[in-house]
Amino acid sequence: MKRRILSIALLAAMCAALLAGCGQKSATWKVTCPWAPSGVAAMVSQQAATKSTSYSDTITLVAEAIKGDAATVNTWVADTKANDTELVFVGEGLLSITSILDPAKMQFGYEDFVFVENLYSSIFVLSADAKLNIGSVADLEAYVQQGTEISVAVNGATSSEAFLAAALFGSMGAGDKLKLTPYQSAAEAAQAVSRGETQFAVSHQSQILETYQQKGVTVVCAFDEGNIENGPFAGVEGVGQHGYPYFRNRCFVMARAGTDEKKVAELKELYGKILADAEVVEWLQDTMLLEVDTMSVADVEAHVENVKSIVNEYKDIVAG
Amino acid sequence: MKQWVEQFNGRMDAWGRKLHEKEIRIPIDLVTGLAFALFALAILLVMPDQVAVSEKDVVNGRAFPTLLMTVMLLCCAMLIGKELYKLATKQPLNWKVINIQVEAKALAILGILLGTYFLSKWTGLFVVGAVFCCLGFLLYFRCRKKSYYVITLVIAVAIWAAFRFALGVDF
Amino acid sequence: MLQYIAPATGLLFTLENILWINIGVFIGSVFAAIPGLSVILCVILFLPVTYSMTAIPGMMFLLGIYCAGGYGGSVSAILINTPGTPHAAATMLDGHPLSEQGRTKAALKIALYASTFGGIFSALMLLFLGPQVARVAAQLGTAEYFMVCVFGLTIIAGVSGKSMIKGLISACLGLLISCVGSDPMTSYDRFTFGISRLYLGLDLAVCLIGLFALVEIMSKAEKRLDRLNLDTTQIKDDGVITKEEYKRMARPVLLSSIIGVMVGIIPGTGASEASWFSYNTAKNMSKHPEEFGHGSVEGIAAAESANNAVTGATLIPLLTLGIPGDGTVAIMLSALMINGLNPGLSLFTTQGDIMYAIMLGLILVNVFMFLQGKFLTTLFAKVVSIPQEILTPIIVIFCFAGAYSVNENFFDVGVALIFAMLAWILRKLELPPVPILLGLVLGSMTETNFRRALLISNGSPKIFFSSVYCIIFLVLILLAVGAIVRGKMKERSTQKED
Repeated sequence: MKRRILSIALLAAMCAALLAGCGQKSATWKVTCPWAPSGVAAMVSQQAATKSTSYSDTITLVAEAIKGDAATVNTWVADTKANDTELVFVGEGLLSITSILDPAKMQFGYEDFVFVENLYSSIFVLSADAKLNIGSVADLEAYVQQGTEISVAVNGATSSEAFLAAALFGSMGAGDKLKLTPYQSAAEAAQAVSRGETQFAVSHQSQILETYQQKGVTVVCAFDEGNIENGPFAGVEGVGQHGYPYFRNRCFVMARAGTDEKKVAELKELYGKILADAEVVEWLQDTMLLEVDTMSVADVEAHVENVKSIVNEYKDIVAG
Repeated sequence: MKQWVEQFNGRMDAWGRKLHEKEIRIPIDLVTGLAFALFALAILLVMPDQVAVSEKDVVNGRAFPTLLMTVMLLCCAMLIGKELYKLATKQPLNWKVINIQVEAKALAILGILLGTYFLSKWTGLFVVGAVFCCLGFLLYFRCRKKSYYVITLVIAVAIWAAFRFALGVDF
Repeated sequence: MLQYIAPATGLLFTLENILWINIGVFIGSVFAAIPGLSVILCVILFLPVTYSMTAIPGMMFLLGIYCAGGYGGSVSAILINTPGTPHAAATMLDGHPLSEQGRTKAALKIALYASTFGGIFSALMLLFLGPQVARVAAQLGTAEYFMVCVFGLTIIAGVSGKSMIKGLISACLGLLISCVGSDPMTSYDRFTFGISRLYLGLDLAVCLIGLFALVEIMSKAEKRLDRLNLDTTQIKDDGVITKEEYKRMARPVLLSSIIGVMVGIIPGTGASEASWFSYNTAKNMSKHPEEFGHGSVEGIAAAESANNAVTGATLIPLLTLGIPGDGTVAIMLSALMINGLNPGLSLFTTQGDIMYAIMLGLILVNVFMFLQGKFLTTLFAKVVSIPQEILTPIIVIFCFAGAYSVNENFFDVGVALIFAMLAWILRKLELPPVPILLGLVLGSMTETNFRRALLISNGSPKIFFSSVYCIIFLVLILLAVGAIVRGKMKERSTQKED
């Protein structure tokens, strides 16, 4: 009997030591993406997770995608506490759009998170039916001045794309002529414009690329300050230089509020290394047509506020 | 223990025999028509509260559900009308016999399902619910083979482990 | 094209690829055969495995899961009257009755043969006509999609059972349930009754678990305990399919494969719609329509060939236009993009060998699905002899685990239970559950395209007659309605004669 108790105790001690050892050596951080597993954010997160072991002995990132947007983040916030090895993505869609249009959907606020890093930055583009022959902001202004109805295909009725379209045409004074046609995916929206169902579409660059290469659409402008610098759309004018409002699509990696600053700094450093990896940079630029855009807390807050001000100004055009 | 189980089963059998004799006959088409007509009316009633619309919409969010409930009401009216006509012309109605024993057994199965659900949810451990489910059904089927208990419980734990550790489902 | 075939063959026929195809096919068959575990869930769960692979083995693994998933769903539909996946629901209508007649192996074999034919047919379409078909598909717009949905809704008549009125009530209920959640056209919530999670809508796989799998468990209450288990010694299941049966299946299999391809190329539609369209068409064209619902070999063959013919077809818009045909394929897109491949016609010239290797690989996947299926059929057929005491709790555990896995939330398990109770009540009221499923499948697509089309046309219904494709679909709808009316009249006259 004594021998049995002794052996059980020894086994328990070994297990405890093993577990403690595991805990000290490397912590696994689960990164929850609240959007579709096939989406841009989920793919970038997966890529980052794959690279994490190459840059850190103490942190392993594990990517997970559970679509559900605010509902997923609600569950995440409810189930986690400070210092849990859990991370989540939020973007301007939740922090700046849903928080104004439908706050009841969100059981969390910005204060529930602590910012780790911005995973990428995407410049949306406005494409036009090739038959309209609109290739620049000047062409677009001339077209808008004709006073005809303007229809724009967007991915989702109250998405970032919808607000960018509303902000652009609204600031051109054509808000009352604007008809936003929501589609259920960005690819559908891109196809709609090439079929002539709508005159324009707002989408990620990668989502319009194929239609553009098949000459179904022209790319009019980019929703950024300056011209697009890289990729197949290099040289496309940014609307910012013409004085029109814009924002980039960003994806913030967040930890639970109250998480140890040291840990957050370690995570930020790891993401920094991953996002500086030449292979990752090349993949983001060439395949995903995204940009590496590491940010500070102040940058994030400025981005959220900028989008909020656009949403407040143009929500009547989008939500009616 | 064995004796207690025998006693319990005996009591259940006696109860089952009693319930087996009890039947309810319902005019099924009439009841279906009325139930779904009420359901459709209720949906139409709550529609303004449940579906917000904007003045800008060409076809708003209420149009499709309203159309559906109208079709449902029409179908219900046809069902009720048919049965009332039969009643007026003294033709036999469409009756359905519901056996109380069957319903009681279905409730017992539902109880096992609900038990599995609530145990998994409250404990946060799916495996607890899975074990309850196995035991519940084995007892429901009055299984006496010990090997079945072992096999089922091992499979239940294995399924949980496969989901939890191999597929990374967190429960 | 020909210049890429030789290098593509070289890239494809490696031990690594063949191994991954077989692993994928096995996982897909097993996952889809388990009620509650959908193909899309399986692909999501195993997607991370592909991130460390190069494009071809990664895609072969996922295609293995995808294609075998198309077939695997039929296994549980045939064996336990519970479709493993939504698209196997049509197979269930005849597969289980045939199994109950002691022909389980034959039913499983028909499903396998038809699935393989449909799969290879669509793979060949992808290989030889991909870009051409994609160009046609790209011309189909919102109005055409709506017409497809209306055509789909005509199927309700075929699956309503004894009473079309009751079938319509069920369908309205299904269509209404599909309205729950965020309105896709405005993002306003509908019928959420203050329950925050409901704004995501109700997941089809979760509803299916309740409507078919859990209610089937509850239906065990209708049988005496001592009669629950089959007396397998009485069943002489040799799995033989007669020559006459093969002959009868030839036409529906071919036609359903064509329908499957046509449905598959339309983004947003999928295997569920294809299997119902084909089942209905096969019933309308059959010399023995009375056998449908009672173990018709044509019914199983039509549904299964169609849902597998979708697999290659959904890849057509993906590989040629970068548009994923359905949710599962959308996830496969990420497996390509993570490897630096941005699908589109230009990729056929820049990375032609890889693209053709993937397309040829789809044929190989179907071949291995057939070979594995041949072996697994005997194994699967043994499920009917597993004692109910063991099988029942195992099915429930799988259903609950599957429902939970969809969003990793117990809310969905609760929803599945509510649907089980609803299905039980409907059973008592003699309301058929299949039209509810049809409503759920077609509801959102029908409404969204209807409203979007009218938004595009500023409220003018002329948009629904504005293209050749719309007119073709309109003719098809009229023909379908005509067939329903003719069928009903025939039914009435035979009833009178009797």
